Amino acid sequence: MTEQPAFTAEVFQNQYLPVGGTVVDAVVTVTATGGVPGGGATGGGSPSLAEIIMVDCSGSMANPATKMSEAKRATVAAIDSLRDGVAFAVIAGRTAADMVYPPVAQLTLADGRTRADAKAAVHRLVASGGTAMGRWLDLARSLFDRYQTDVKHAILLTDGRNQHETPEQLATVLRACEGRFLCDSRGVGADWSGTELRTIASALLGTADGLSDPAGLVDDFRAMTQAAMGKAVAEVTLRLWTPAGSTVRFVKQAFPHVEDLTARRVEVNARTGEYPLGAWGAESRDYHVSVAVPAGGTGEELLAARVSLVSGTDVLSQGLVLANWTDDTALSTKINARVAHYTGQAELAAAIQEGLAARDAGDVETATAKLGRAVQLAQESGHSDTAKLLAKVVDVVDAPSGTVRLKQKVEGVDAELANVRSVKTIRVKNT
Amino acid sequence: MAGAPCPACGEPLGEGFAFCDACGVELAVAARTAAGAVPSTVDGDGTAPVGSLGRWVAAPGPPDEATCTGCGGTAFGVEGYCDTCGQRRPAGPDHSELDLPGVAVVTDKGRRHKHNEDAAGLAALPGVRAAVVCDGVSSSSRPEAASHAAVDAAVPALVSALRGGGDAGTALRTAARAAQAAATLAGGASPGGNPPSSTFVAAVAHADTVTVAWIGDSRAYWLPVPAGPPAAPATCLTVDDASPGGLLRWLGADARDTEPHLRTFTPAGPGLVLVCSDGLFRYRPDPVELAALATAEVPDPAAAPLALAQALVRFALDQGGQDNVTAAVLPFPPQEP
Repeated sequence: MTEQPAFTAEVFQNQYLPVGGTVVDAVVTVTATGGVPGGGATGGGSPSLAEIIMVDCSGSMANPATKMSEAKRATVAAIDSLRDGVAFAVIAGRTAADMVYPPVAQLTLADGRTRADAKAAVHRLVASGGTAMGRWLDLARSLFDRYQTDVKHAILLTDGRNQHETPEQLATVLRACEGRFLCDSRGVGADWSGTELRTIASALLGTADGLSDPAGLVDDFRAMTQAAMGKAVAEVTLRLWTPAGSTVRFVKQAFPHVEDLTARRVEVNARTGEYPLGAWGAESRDYHVSVAVPAGGTGEELLAARVSLVSGTDVLSQGLVLANWTDDTALSTKINARVAHYTGQAELAAAIQEGLAARDAGDVETATAKLGRAVQLAQESGHSDTAKLLAKVVDVVDAPSGTVRLKQKVEGVDAELANVRSVKTIRVKNT
Repeated sequence: MAGAPCPACGEPLGEGFAFCDACGVELAVAARTAAGAVPSTVDGDGTAPVGSLGRWVAAPGPPDEATCTGCGGTAFGVEGYCDTCGQRRPAGPDHSELDLPGVAVVTDKGRRHKHNEDAAGLAALPGVRAAVVCDGVSSSSRPEAASHAAVDAAVPALVSALRGGGDAGTALRTAARAAQAAATLAGGASPGGNPPSSTFVAAVAHADTVTVAWIGDSRAYWLPVPAGPPAAPATCLTVDDASPGGLLRWLGADARDTEPHLRTFTPAGPGLVLVCSDGLFRYRPDPVELAALATAEVPDPAAAPLALAQALVRFALDQGGQDNVTAAVLPFPPQEP
């Protein structure tokens, strides 16, 4: 017996606009509780899962040797955590993509025997060759395409940059993969690119992260496969209704990481659009919606947006964003704390990414300004993890004013970590 | 038609009955509500004197066929906003005054709210006066739909039950049940996760007793006005169904416990029953102070209940009018003109 999780939507906004005001901002917190627990037994109606693990087996994985050995241990742990009946495959990523298990290009169902055979095949892996992630993703897509499952999830592990294909080639593959499967991307060692990992995870509705110490891979892989098995609703979309005459300024996921969804809109009708969100388990996410509406008169009340979470024809939960025009400036000048917080978190992510890009391009002035602003925002919002990462890239002279100096010597991986984690956000307490 | 189910509670109906025997809903009201429309003014017997059958009135509510003030559209979502331009569905009038011989009520949207979500109705039968006040829960969707539907169902049900000389407690229970059935139907076929909701308070004054019933945090007060022996001291007759966190009980599709509290009170002398929403008593919660206020405003309310209801609502507006305000005044003992 499977239980559908219970979804709730809570809207945080200041609905009061000054006379002539047109912009309505709201944060919608969507929380799913209950449902299928992660790693639970397969049940009648629980979403079926297909899982593909892409392990970087390029030559650099042998240097140091612990990278390859920890990647193998992590892949084995992920295979062990797959419940019976999950369709899976393991791909070795080099300049081309090679099947590790099963030996032919298809998925196989997890059971005692296939898990043992897959682990044996993983142990035989040898590091050699180059890196062309688009090829790996393309093979994963073709395997998934031939299989009917509710949730299709992949893990991509790399230790380096995508050297053996162009960014355009990767982008083309990502476009072909969008909406076909979900992918979490991970970097191990010191030579991966935060931007590349974010690009892959963003397109495929997953998470991106880096681990400088390969020993952390085992727990991380296990957590990713368990999260994939914990998905209780396979495909969730955010449906946004806005009134006639309005414009959707943006729709962003604001927590657990920043993801601009605006361009992913699929028109349903003149006033309704849908934004794909991927699969949901027992989790909570925040969305920041900004709508420009026609200005109303004092005392008027308008429904500025109806935000629904939809699975197929089911509306899982719904929140209303309102606009009330008032001449009481004490009401209209307040900024909702959550809206302000996530506006700051989005600016923080952009400041880190732009600052690091300027630093790579040798533009010291822009890099110092942007990273200084990032340090200031991280301090103001209490984002201590990001503050710690930034302190490895810049010397902080005075955090409250954002005064920093670029460090002369920076471990390459520290800048990439700051980059890949720039989109991670924290929540403010309920007030 | 015998055996056809009541649109409110589903029990089989007696042939030719104007009210459901089981839940007390007036069938004309229930039929209109069930069809998705919200009843507006329901007026018993016009302005004729209180005959042997009695009379009742209810404040007009939202229009049955609403037209959007923003775009002229006629389709509204369950939350009460225009499907096209998002404007809120028109609510009923901002201010209403009703009076029957020996009982009166005034309701006003106040100074801060945009709509009047309170609803009220009155009944006068020989030797009996009654008032019903429902305060739409402003955090629910279209609260005025619930409050008006509740009043429009409760008042005729009350009249019907009292008409045959029925006891006040039974009549009030029947009225509350009718109110709950109608408030539930006000949400329509798919009321959504936050259906229209309302409080409920009603008072019946007989020659020797006052009986009150309530669900939620609207109140009934006993006020010995004009003061003088052998009057009973001023007191609040109801106990709010509320905690610091909010309302504990209410009427509507998502209400679980809707059996009304009942209290019968035997005044030692003349006075009045004030039935009101929190928009009034928030400024004078204390019964003694409320009695003093009433005495100062209208020294002889028995002769002019409408004047006192008007004065109390004006007082709340002067205090800031933070919420919708409703005040119903029932002089005791009921007096025939």
